[in-house]
Amino acid sequence: MSDPDLIEDTAAAIEESDATVETEQTPEPDELLTESLVEEVSIDGMCGVY
Amino acid sequence: MTAPGAAPTGFDPGGAYRLHRQAELRDEPFGALAYHFGTRRLSFLKAPILVDVVRALGDSVSVEEALQRCAVPEAQRPAILHALAGLAASQMIEPRA
Repeated sequence: MSDPDLIEDTAAAIEESDATVETEQTPEPDELLTESLVEEVSIDGMCGVY
Repeated sequence: MTAPGAAPTGFDPGGAYRLHRQAELRDEPFGALAYHFGTRRLSFLKAPILVDVVRALGDSVSVEEALQRCAVPEAQRPAILHALAGLAASQMIEPRA
């Protein structure tokens, strides 16, 4: 029932997917700093990110 | 044209700043919490190096000197300056005479 080509293709897709996730979980430090360094909250209900 | 009562936008990296006299910093694992007793605003400073720079402002003749004293990497300076400009606009830091 199983198709060897289909299994190989699926395995390759999973490996590629895992690689993508790993890359997203380990951003460079500089990338972190380009994201918001400050989040601001006011008790009057206003907030901001910069 | 600036609306009356709007926060100042003229942040000058060559100028001297300090933590606002009505603001306090509290260290946290992610960096620090800053609370301004006048505006009643709470800011989450999410990078320890930014906290170091804010603390160094009061003893530095300029923002640029504070960045040097805290050994902020060149690549990170634009982001730190952007954050400081925001903190100045929200009066969490203020110009020093």
